Amino acid sequence: MEFSVESWAPEYGSSLNLPSVEDTGDRADATVERALDEWAPIDPAPARSPGEIAFIDGIQRIDARIWIHENGISTPAVCVSVAAGATVCAPGTATTEGVRVARALIAPASSTAGPIGTRHATYEFVPAQDGTPEATYLAIHGRRTELEVGVARSVSCGLIVFDGPLRGYNDPQSVGYIKTHHKVYLPNAVQPILGDLADGQRTPLFFLSGGQARGRWSWYLRLPGPRVHPMSGIVRLELPGTGTAAEAVERAGHVSACLPYFASEPHKEPRAPQNLYPISGIERELRRRLGDALLLERALRIAAGHAT
Amino acid sequence: MGRVLGTDDATPLEFWVAVANGQHLQLDDIVALDRSLPTGEVVSIYGIVGQVRARHEGARFDSDVFLIADGVLPADVAEAAQIQVTRVVPETFVPPLPGAEVRRAVDEERDEALDMTDVEHRLPAGLTRDGQPVVLDLEFIDGTKGAHVNISGISGVATKTSYATFLLYSLFNSGVLGAAATNTKGLIFNVKGEDLLFLDHANTRLDDTERARYAALGLEAGPFRSMRVLAPPRKGDPNATPATGARTADVKPLYWTVAQFCEQGLLPFLFADAEDERQQYTIVVQSVTAQLQRCAMQSHTSDGAVRIDGRTARTFSQLVTIICDKLLPDDPDEDADPQWTGRSIYTGTINAFVRRLSSAERHVAHLIRADIDDAETHAIDLDSQQVTVVDLHMLHDRAKRFVVGVVLRQAFEAKEAAGTAEPLQFVVLDELNKYAPRDSSSPIKEILLDVAERGRSLGMILIGAQQTASEVERRVVSNSAIRVVGRLDAAEAGREQYGFLPAVQRQRATILKPGSMFVSQPRLPVPVLLEFPFPAWATRVAEADLSGGRSDQPADPFDGLT
Repeated sequence: MEFSVESWAPEYGSSLNLPSVEDTGDRADATVERALDEWAPIDPAPARSPGEIAFIDGIQRIDARIWIHENGISTPAVCVSVAAGATVCAPGTATTEGVRVARALIAPASSTAGPIGTRHATYEFVPAQDGTPEATYLAIHGRRTELEVGVARSVSCGLIVFDGPLRGYNDPQSVGYIKTHHKVYLPNAVQPILGDLADGQRTPLFFLSGGQARGRWSWYLRLPGPRVHPMSGIVRLELPGTGTAAEAVERAGHVSACLPYFASEPHKEPRAPQNLYPISGIERELRRRLGDALLLERALRIAAGHAT
Repeated sequence: MGRVLGTDDATPLEFWVAVANGQHLQLDDIVALDRSLPTGEVVSIYGIVGQVRARHEGARFDSDVFLIADGVLPADVAEAAQIQVTRVVPETFVPPLPGAEVRRAVDEERDEALDMTDVEHRLPAGLTRDGQPVVLDLEFIDGTKGAHVNISGISGVATKTSYATFLLYSLFNSGVLGAAATNTKGLIFNVKGEDLLFLDHANTRLDDTERARYAALGLEAGPFRSMRVLAPPRKGDPNATPATGARTADVKPLYWTVAQFCEQGLLPFLFADAEDERQQYTIVVQSVTAQLQRCAMQSHTSDGAVRIDGRTARTFSQLVTIICDKLLPDDPDEDADPQWTGRSIYTGTINAFVRRLSSAERHVAHLIRADIDDAETHAIDLDSQQVTVVDLHMLHDRAKRFVVGVVLRQAFEAKEAAGTAEPLQFVVLDELNKYAPRDSSSPIKEILLDVAERGRSLGMILIGAQQTASEVERRVVSNSAIRVVGRLDAAEAGREQYGFLPAVQRQRATILKPGSMFVSQPRLPVPVLLEFPFPAWATRVAEADLSGGRSDQPADPFDGLT
C-alpha cells in the first residue's frame, strides 16, 4: 500500500460539527415513577457505602491525515489512536485499571488500505462506510466504544459508570453518565423542575424508548457546585431498560447518592462539576498512554517513505 | 532495583533511577549497571545514591493529594533516586541508557564501586552506614601520591579529634604501615579539656557491638599502647611539676631553658604577627633574636641560664628586664644600643615591641626558665614513645601559639635533618584557624605552611582540624589529600571551601549525627558518608580503665581479708 502523510498538522480540518451520538429520536415516558403533576425534586437517599465503583472513559486522537495512492487515485484517510480505561474507586484508593490502547487506520471500505506498521505502533485497518468526515468519525467512535466495552467486561464492580450514554450496552451493573445535553427529554410541563433541583437532588425517573432495543431508565441529577445558570451541574443518567420500575427507582437512588462525592471543582477541572474527578484522572492517564503525537507522526512519515 | 529513567538527562556523572515496585533505594546505597557499546565493549557504571524523591504521577495540583488519598482521583506514586557516579570501568565516559537495569552493588561490586579492589596499602577509615568497611589508599596519606588530612566540623559532635585519633589508631594498629609502624610517631596537641590525656587507657564504656565494628574494620579494639604526655609546669611551682589535672603517670614537664630559648631563636614565636612586613617592630624582633643567639653562644652555662653583658638571666622575667634595659636606657639622653634595636630608631616602634614582650611575659614565664636543677638534661623528646600528647588546654592563647610553633618547628627540623621520610611523623592539630588563619601571617603559620607544602616529602603528615575551613589558610587545606567534613553550620556549609561536596551532601552536612562524616579522597569523585566506631580509648577520665588493663588485680584489694 502506497501512502503519504498530509503535511498539515493533523488538527486542521478536524473541527467539524459531528452528529450527536445521542439518539435524539427517542420518546420519553415521564410517568414511570410519578404522575406528571406530582413531579418534584427528590432528596438523595441516605448515603450508603458505595463499595467499588468503576468509571470508564475513552479518548481518541488523530495522529495523522494520510493519502492512500492507488492507480493514480488518492483517497483520504486518517490514522488515529484510541484508548479506554477505568478508574476503580474504593474507599481510600483510586487505581487505573484495564487500560487499552488501539491504533487504527480509518479508510473507506472500498479502498485497498491495509495495516500500516511503524517503528512504534501498527495502525490496524478499520473500514469506514465512505470517505465523508461523518463516516470517519463514526468508525473512530465505533472502535472506541469497542474498547470501552472491553474494559467494562474486564472490571468487576457493583457499579460501572460510563462516560456517555449506554449505547445499547446492557450489563445490569452499568450506568450511563451524560454531561452534555443536546436535548431535554422532559415534557415542557415539568422542565422547570430542573432549575429547582438543589445539590444532590434528582428528578423522578422517566423511560426512554425507541432507537435502541429495550430502552433505558433515565433521570436528571444536580451535582454540587456553583450555579451560574439553571442547567449548571445537571447531568443525565441512564440505566439499562431491564427490570421493573421499582427496581430502577431503587438503583437510581443509590447511584444518585454515590456520584456527588466525585464531583470536581472549577479550579481543578474546567468542566466542573460534571467531569468527575475519576473521569478527569483517567482521561489524563489515557492521554499519556496514547504516546507522543509528534513521535507517532514522525514514525508514520518514515513508514510512508518506506512503503511500497 | 529499578531502571535508569529517561525523563531527566542521564550523564556519565549523574543520572536518575526509577525505583521498581516493591524495591527501595536510600541515600548512600551503592548501585551498578552495565552498558554495552556498539564496539562490543561492556562499560560498568558504579555510583552512590545522592538523593531520593517520591511524587504522585497524575496529580497536577498540590491539593490533588487529598483527592488521591480519598480514592477519588487516580494517581501513581513514583520513586526515583539520583545516582552520583563514582567509577566508570573501563574509562569510557558514556551515559547510561534510559531503561537500563540498575542493581544494588554488593561484595566485590561494592569494593569496585568504591575503587577499593586494587588498593595495595589499605588503611581502614570507617564504616558505611550498613556496617561495611571502607579503606583509604595509604599512598594518599603517607606522601607517595599525596599527604595530609583535613577535618572540618562544629565542635561537640565527636568528629574532629575523635576521628583524627581514630585514624592514628588505625594507622598504628591495622598493619598498613608494616614493620615501620613501630617507629612511626604521632604528635598530638591537646587543645581542649583533658580529652586526649587518657589515650593509653581502655574505654570502660566500649561494648561488644562497638568491638564488632572494630573487628569489621580488621582492627583490635584497644587503647594506644605507648604514649607520653608533655604538660606545661604549674604556674609558680619551683619544681616545675606538670599541670595535668587527672593524669599523673608518664607525664613530663614541658618547658624550655632560657639558653634554649635564646639559642634556638624562639623569640618570634611570642609574636603572633612577627612575620608581617607591615609591622615596624618586626625589625626589633629580628635584631633582639640575633643578639640573644649571640649571647647564648658566648656564655655557655651548665644550668641553662644565659649571661648577657654581665647580667644573668635565669628566668624569663629577668630576660625580659635585660632586653628592656637594652632597648630603653634609663638615661633618656642615651641612645639605645643599635645592635639591639636594629635600624629602628623610633621610640614608638621600640615601645611597641616592649609592650608586646611584656604582655607575653605572664603567659609564658613558666615555660621558659633555668631555675630547675636538671634543666640541662631536659629536652623535649618526641621520639621516646609512639604517641606524644602535648597538653595545651591550660595555656593562654599566646602560650598555645608559642608551644605549637616551637614544638612543630623542632619536629620539622628533626625531620629535615634526618633526611628520610620514613618513619613517618604524624601531627594532630585542632583549631587550625587559630594557628594558620586565612588573613594574617605569623611564624606558626609559616611552619604550618612548610609542613603542608614540604611535609609530604619529608614524611611529616598533618592531620589538621578546624571548625570552619573558610577561616584557615587556603594552602594548608588545599594541600590535604583527604578531606573530612562532619556536621557544619548551615552558613559555613555554603562556602566555596566545601566545593568538593555536591549540593545534597552540603545540605546533609548540617544534620550529620555525631560520629559520621563525609570523607573525600582522591580516588573517588564523590565523598562517601562514613561512620567510625566509638573510641576504644578513654576520652575523659571517667571512661578510663585506670587499672591499666591488668585484670590480675582484684577489684577490691582488701577482698578476702578478715
